[in-house]
Amino acid sequence: MYNFKSGIVQIDQGFGGFEAGTNFLVLAPPMSLAEDLAYSLTKPLPGEYAIVLSTNDRAAEVIDAFKVMEVDKRYVGTIDAITKSSTPGIADTTRLMFVASPTDLTGIGIKFSKMVELIFDGDFSDGESGLFPPPVRFCVNSVSTLLMYRKLEVLYQFLHVLTSKVKKIDGVGFYLLNNESFDEKTISLVKQLMTGVIEVKIEQSTNYLRIMGIKGVPSKWQKFSVQKGQVVIGP
Amino acid sequence: MISTGINGIDDMLGGGIPRGSRVMYSMEPGVDGQLFMISTLFAALSKGLSCLVVLPHTTFDIFKHDAAMKRGCTMEIFNKKVVFIDAVDRERIEKSSRTRKDVLKAWETKVKKLSKENAVEIAFIYVDLLYNDLGLEGTISIAEAAKTSGTTTLILEHLNLEGRSLIDQFIEKYSYDLIIAISSAFRSQLHFNYFTLMHTSWSNVPRRSVPFIATEGRVVPYIPKIVVTGPTQAGKSTFVTNASDLGFSIDRRGVAGDPTTVAMDFGWLHWKNFEITVYGTPGQQRFDSVVPMLLSHAMGIVLLIDATKPSALERARHHVQLIREKRLPMVIAANKSDLPGTMSDSEIRKGLDLQKDVPLFFISATRKGDVRLVLESLVDYITQYTN
Repeated sequence: MYNFKSGIVQIDQGFGGFEAGTNFLVLAPPMSLAEDLAYSLTKPLPGEYAIVLSTNDRAAEVIDAFKVMEVDKRYVGTIDAITKSSTPGIADTTRLMFVASPTDLTGIGIKFSKMVELIFDGDFSDGESGLFPPPVRFCVNSVSTLLMYRKLEVLYQFLHVLTSKVKKIDGVGFYLLNNESFDEKTISLVKQLMTGVIEVKIEQSTNYLRIMGIKGVPSKWQKFSVQKGQVVIGP
Repeated sequence: MISTGINGIDDMLGGGIPRGSRVMYSMEPGVDGQLFMISTLFAALSKGLSCLVVLPHTTFDIFKHDAAMKRGCTMEIFNKKVVFIDAVDRERIEKSSRTRKDVLKAWETKVKKLSKENAVEIAFIYVDLLYNDLGLEGTISIAEAAKTSGTTTLILEHLNLEGRSLIDQFIEKYSYDLIIAISSAFRSQLHFNYFTLMHTSWSNVPRRSVPFIATEGRVVPYIPKIVVTGPTQAGKSTFVTNASDLGFSIDRRGVAGDPTTVAMDFGWLHWKNFEITVYGTPGQQRFDSVVPMLLSHAMGIVLLIDATKPSALERARHHVQLIREKRLPMVIAANKSDLPGTMSDSEIRKGLDLQKDVPLFFISATRKGDVRLVLESLVDYITQYTN
């Protein structure tokens, strides 16, 4: 079974990384490093692929974020739910796909399937090929936006479908959720769909994270920062 | 009748959708099935029918652009008789209404007014967000508001996150006339989409799933694998060659000097609005272990026998048994029936222990017309077969 390296020494050395077919909720307050953290966990290593569903940022911004991390853009696909509302005529490419808005769950589902299909068919990276079967990292930035437009029950069912697909393709998924904007019921319902939770907090301008749900990894709070797409734990 | 815009489905439905029907395209999440509704819309517009499109999830600008791109054509078609209610209208309704009841009332009024003013003949409604906002009852009530006459046809597209229970409600509670479920087999190394005619009120089309491909802006029903099997020297390679627009055979010269298939025959053809691939199995007993593998994932079987060779029927019975075990649709083609000494229908049925409902054709595999007739019959059988 493939293991996705997290870039976090404590996880990768002790446990080999994230197991294939797992999904993690990245639970964080606003203005924290959560997006940087989620992107760094989604960053494809050589041979891997990444798909980002962006409900907050335009595709160009997502690509820029990955560029900063020195990622080969041929291995990153973006499903952009923002740009189309201002540019109706924008056309899909292999690695940039657009949906009408974050409410368009039909479109999101289709574009996700299409991108996965392109990756599995070897048509994603301009003739370059990674590992096979392709290890795919998936990130949703963020579930909070989807929740603003959709009823919790509907979104729960939709996320159930997405997380199941990530499992089926032996990928790994990271789903950002703002823990200050939603009640406990909402958060615990979304948690039910996940293998584990990566929780972020800020205290006195310092970011802390704790990881819950990976067997053997202690769930204590640890200081962290993200430097050029690399998660640095402590001191 | 109103065309679905998809020839294979129109054929299965007996020509299309009767006017005044209520239709739902039920889409499983992730399946690229938006072309179904769009194909029906384009077919209606090109016939000059007056259409209403309700799309609460997007603006009509985006929709027009996306739909034209999906069909691979210009947006000119939207210059015809079509009116829209879109996401901007939804926002206006939401802002100007105080309660959920007001929202529903505003939707119904708007839909009814536009439908009446434009003498709408077909209303296309994207249900997803309406269902989110107003529940199933509310959505149905908005759809019904578009039905300003008995002949107004309703076509709904819905992202079905609830599965079969929702489809059953549309059939049993709301008496929808046609439900087509669009699904995908999403596996780690194989993707294919298929549609299922779940229910039709005006015909007895049995429930049957058919794979499809979306190509050049069209939905094309696709039969991924038809297998031609039978005893040796029955004419399978000739059949596959004459069936195909493009094909090849892996033959070696046998001990008697005749060519014999040692691996398989393979062919591809476009026929009766279906894309079809045809596989021929080797007939010799020593290749029997290969045949079950070739039969796996087949959608239909042509059992080819030599009509002049009663002694080969026993061997063919072995094939019949194998096909029955796999519960696959099968037709029998009695080849070489243009030669003297051809067995009769009853002799073959008795020899193969066949029921009367299994189609049996007397053909010559050297004649393309005969071969195509067998395939046509099998396609009909596949799309209407219930095991």
